[in-house]
Amino acid sequence: MYSLALFLQEGHSEGGASGGPFTLEPGLIIWTWIVFIVLFFMLKKFAWPHIVRLTEERERTIQKQLAEAARLNEEAKASLDEHNKLLAEAKDRAHELVIEAKTIGEKERERLLAKARQEQEEILKRAKREIEGERDRAVAELRREAVDLSLAAAAKLIQQKLDDAGDRKIVEDYLATLEDKS
Amino acid sequence: MIQTEVDIGEILMHHTADAYSLDFSFFQIEWHSWPWAEFSLLGIHFNLTPTKHVVFMVVAAALLFLCMWMTGRLLEKQRAGKTAPKGFANAMEAFVLWVRNDIVIANIGEHDGPRFAPYIMTLFFFILIANVLGLLPWGAAATGNLGVTAALAIMALFTIELSGLFKLGFKGYMRTIFPSLPGMGGVGGLMMSVAMGPIEILGKLVKPFALCFRLFGNMTAGHFVILTLFGLIFMFGNLEGWRWAIGAASATLVLGVMGLELIVAFVQAYVFSIITAVLIGMMMHEH
Repeated sequence: MYSLALFLQEGHSEGGASGGPFTLEPGLIIWTWIVFIVLFFMLKKFAWPHIVRLTEERERTIQKQLAEAARLNEEAKASLDEHNKLLAEAKDRAHELVIEAKTIGEKERERLLAKARQEQEEILKRAKREIEGERDRAVAELRREAVDLSLAAAAKLIQQKLDDAGDRKIVEDYLATLEDKS
Repeated sequence: MIQTEVDIGEILMHHTADAYSLDFSFFQIEWHSWPWAEFSLLGIHFNLTPTKHVVFMVVAAALLFLCMWMTGRLLEKQRAGKTAPKGFANAMEAFVLWVRNDIVIANIGEHDGPRFAPYIMTLFFFILIANVLGLLPWGAAATGNLGVTAALAIMALFTIELSGLFKLGFKGYMRTIFPSLPGMGGVGGLMMSVAMGPIEILGKLVKPFALCFRLFGNMTAGHFVILTLFGLIFMFGNLEGWRWAIGAASATLVLGVMGLELIVAFVQAYVFSIITAVLIGMMMHEH
């Protein structure tokens, strides 16, 4: 019955602090604040920093790395945009160039064609001219030949030597009348 | 036959109450209220004479500080030696970091969490050690005293409200008392906001009130149950031939309840700190 005696003794040795567990002692509230606040500041200064230091450093590092990654990502995006813009510009430029080249080519073709046509016409004209000249010359030649032949034939026919120029005049006149008829 | 001269209720009330005495059975000390430590302020009578619970609170604080200080030193030494954290220090580090990450930062947020971590960590471990001290032989749970839990709850109230005031600014903080109601404008909305004021203020006060009584009730109730079960021995202890059975049954039940109390000690420390963290978090994310 030792413990029972203890219990009873405890019951009698009440120091008169309070009536029971349900009393609210203002002094104890103050004490709790004092103890807790002192504990809080001591732990904050001497204990927590050492325990959580590595974790906090790790967190800071991760934060920094995340920020860095975000920054790099941003940069990459910006450079990609720049790149795309340049690409689009280059494409536009190439397109322009092609169109320009096409117009130039077209113009050149037109020009060449016109020139070729002109040259062709010129050649044709010249050919015609030459042909006409040739024909005229041939006709003249033929005529002279015919005159000679006629003269020879006439000389043979009349068996006499005639005055060359005077006879010639007569035959040519005759031939001219022939020409008019034909 | 029931032994009537033992008043179990009296012992129960006495055991859980505060006292000007310490009793370790082999060592007893008793003192009286110091007259010079008593004063009245604003009509409230204060008595700053240290009591049993004050002593156990100081013991809890000292134990906690020693434990954490040692842990910090050991960890720094292990880090300096480039050895992997091991043993006691590693276990405590994991415990502390669990409180920091899963209670504080998970509820308050990445940005504001670390600023409140020291407070919540101190709160958690202080309540935990104070709870566990009550389970030790000759121990007393300071957290089973309404004054202690009230002090902790008032502190939580101030922390929550002041954190809100600093974070949201005066205007933003007044929003938490006179909320702007969605879909209501003009005079009607203003009247509703003013009408909500008393309800919001009551809501702010009820939360720490619940914290205070939850912790106090849980710690006191556990002690009541254990003492009641022990009381069975004294009530039926003189039944001839059955005392050993009563004793064995009572001790077995107490063992079970003690195990439960150990869990309760952890759970109540967890609940007090996580609710404080959640309430701070709600203030931080109020818009």
